[in-house]
Amino acid sequence: MQRASKKLAMILVVVMLFTLAVGCGKKTEEGTAKTETRVLNVSMALGESEWEVMKTKVLPKFEADNNVKVQAVQTEAADLITKLEAMNKAGKMEIDIITQDNMQLAQLVDKGLVEDLTEFKSSIPDSILPSLVPVGEFNSKLFFMPYRPNVEIDFYNETKFNEYGLEIPQNWDELLNVAKTFHEKEGLGRVAVKGTLDGNTTVQLYEFIRQAGGDPLVLNDEGSVKAYEYLKELWPYLSPDTARADWNTMNKYLATESVYLGANWPFGVNVIVQEGGKENIKAFGGFAGPVKASKVLGGEVIGIPVGSPNKDLAVKFMEFLMSKEVQEILVTELGWPASRGDAYGEVDEWQKPYFKAVNDALKVAEARPNVIYWDTVDKALNDALREITMEGKDVRETLDKHAKLIEDAKK
Amino acid sequence: MKTAPSTQKNTKLDTSYKPKQDYLDRFLKVGFLPITIFFMFIILIPIYILVKVSVSQPVDVLTQHPTFLIHNFTTSHWEKVLSSGNLIPAFSKSFIVATATTILAICIATPASYVISRLPKKIKYVIVLGIFFTKMFPNVGIALPISVKFIRWNLLDTHIGLVLAHLIEQLPFITWILVGTFEVIPVDLEKSAMIDGATRIRALWSIVLPNAAPGLAVAAMFTWLNSWNEFTYALYLSLSTNTLPLQVYYYVNRGGFFPMATYATILMVPVLIVTYALQKYIRSDYLGGAIKG
Repeated sequence: MQRASKKLAMILVVVMLFTLAVGCGKKTEEGTAKTETRVLNVSMALGESEWEVMKTKVLPKFEADNNVKVQAVQTEAADLITKLEAMNKAGKMEIDIITQDNMQLAQLVDKGLVEDLTEFKSSIPDSILPSLVPVGEFNSKLFFMPYRPNVEIDFYNETKFNEYGLEIPQNWDELLNVAKTFHEKEGLGRVAVKGTLDGNTTVQLYEFIRQAGGDPLVLNDEGSVKAYEYLKELWPYLSPDTARADWNTMNKYLATESVYLGANWPFGVNVIVQEGGKENIKAFGGFAGPVKASKVLGGEVIGIPVGSPNKDLAVKFMEFLMSKEVQEILVTELGWPASRGDAYGEVDEWQKPYFKAVNDALKVAEARPNVIYWDTVDKALNDALREITMEGKDVRETLDKHAKLIEDAKK
Repeated sequence: MKTAPSTQKNTKLDTSYKPKQDYLDRFLKVGFLPITIFFMFIILIPIYILVKVSVSQPVDVLTQHPTFLIHNFTTSHWEKVLSSGNLIPAFSKSFIVATATTILAICIATPASYVISRLPKKIKYVIVLGIFFTKMFPNVGIALPISVKFIRWNLLDTHIGLVLAHLIEQLPFITWILVGTFEVIPVDLEKSAMIDGATRIRALWSIVLPNAAPGLAVAAMFTWLNSWNEFTYALYLSLSTNTLPLQVYYYVNRGGFFPMATYATILMVPVLIVTYALQKYIRSDYLGGAIKG
């Protein structure tokens, strides 16, 4: 009994000391740091190898030039919105500058979480690719600066294509033929479209519609009808993994060779080829539709959260990220396509074919329009796909129904 | 006097069902081991796959038909994770937060539960219901307003902030467990101790708490595991240093198969240790001797 009491007493002492340590230790450290140099809190969403380049080759230069410490934190695009919202509501913004996926900007603007940067529009370098600027504009105001263009490329299993004597598809007919051949030879579809019926699928639907000359914001025009009719024909020959294929799982399906052809963002190159050692997985820029080739322009933009405690420094950092020097580092070290026309870099030998695929795709990339009713468009595109391909409904009737919903949302 | 004949009667009745009992007994005797092994296998397979991926070369894993056994063993994924510099801060943050949450939760909930368990039935019922009421709201729904408060109080990116946030979630749960534990400890035990000269506090420390050890162990284990695996508050309240589940989430998001498996294995190891360390206290017959007397 005495032993039990002693143990409990010990635990209590430990708790008190512990609470003291964890409660006070960190604050003192922070306090000391703040008095010495200014700290710029930067939020980015990067992979491990990307962080290494950022922390060793990009940030130190800015720190030295401006006598500041850059504290970079990893925040995924979707989590950034909730974090900024919490900080904004608390009235204590702890992040000075963000780089954010350009597919997830509307909520940041809608919730009033980012600064209007229109007054800094003149600081966008002339050599920045013109198509990147409208991505950051909402209602004629500039909320985000261009930083990194990105585009989905089509990954394919070279071994399997060679085995069945197939060429990479250049148009819809060839794509259908490839899908049919794999299905016939292996008894299972091996071509996948991202079919999770969310933002992942929207990107691919947007591309199919644009390739057929349609407008996703209209949805029942001739191009859209053609795109959905084609998808209805293609659907039975697709891989069963299609239903679960998103930007993350697509890498797994390609790497484990359950899918032989599928589109994904170029970060898949690091996961599948560099880390996974699957050198037989190659990539190309994509296929064209009956009207043209078209890809969705993705990537990241720079924003400054409302209430940023170091806005002046954040603006400097924003200009630094758009500079030729930084863009060239990003091209050379990471194989990212540059956001400016005058930034050149030499990528590693193994990266070259993939880098070419990215650049080919970028040539036909189009920015998605920033409309406040995008959520309705997103839902309409996916619901229409489900009804047409999975439930076998009539293409025109279904698209008319969903086009009306978009029209209503526009009002 | 009355008991003996009825026992005899029961024995007779039991004999009439002998063939059925024999069949069931035989089935259990024969089937117990294979069934146990089968379910153990089902439970352990995902853990094995996780560990296997973390020590296999890509050629073993990234194929249409991955092999069950490890053919190309490698420690490179572990070396990368261990040398990345991301593991120790995340691990220590998770460990400190989970341990502090557990100790504080036990210190707060133990006396509270004891008092509740000794209250009249009706009042106790209302209080337990009230405790459960706080668990009715999903974390994702209340995490934002709570995090807003915590950020205002400068608790963003601090251990203590996360500990307090985890306590919000854990306290009602372990209080409920401990109320059940204290309820079954007979009040007569305390009274006997007090008759023997012990004060109320002494009776509590020396009689009630040791008898409540299994319940305390379960409560501590659950709290530690829940805090160790907690995600929502960690996401809101972490900035420069992630917890280990956030680190795993990061690799899931980045699609890295091997670091993800390695981090998930690392996440699992302390769970195994804590569970093993505390499971010896979980004994159903703990009160047997006391109640007999």
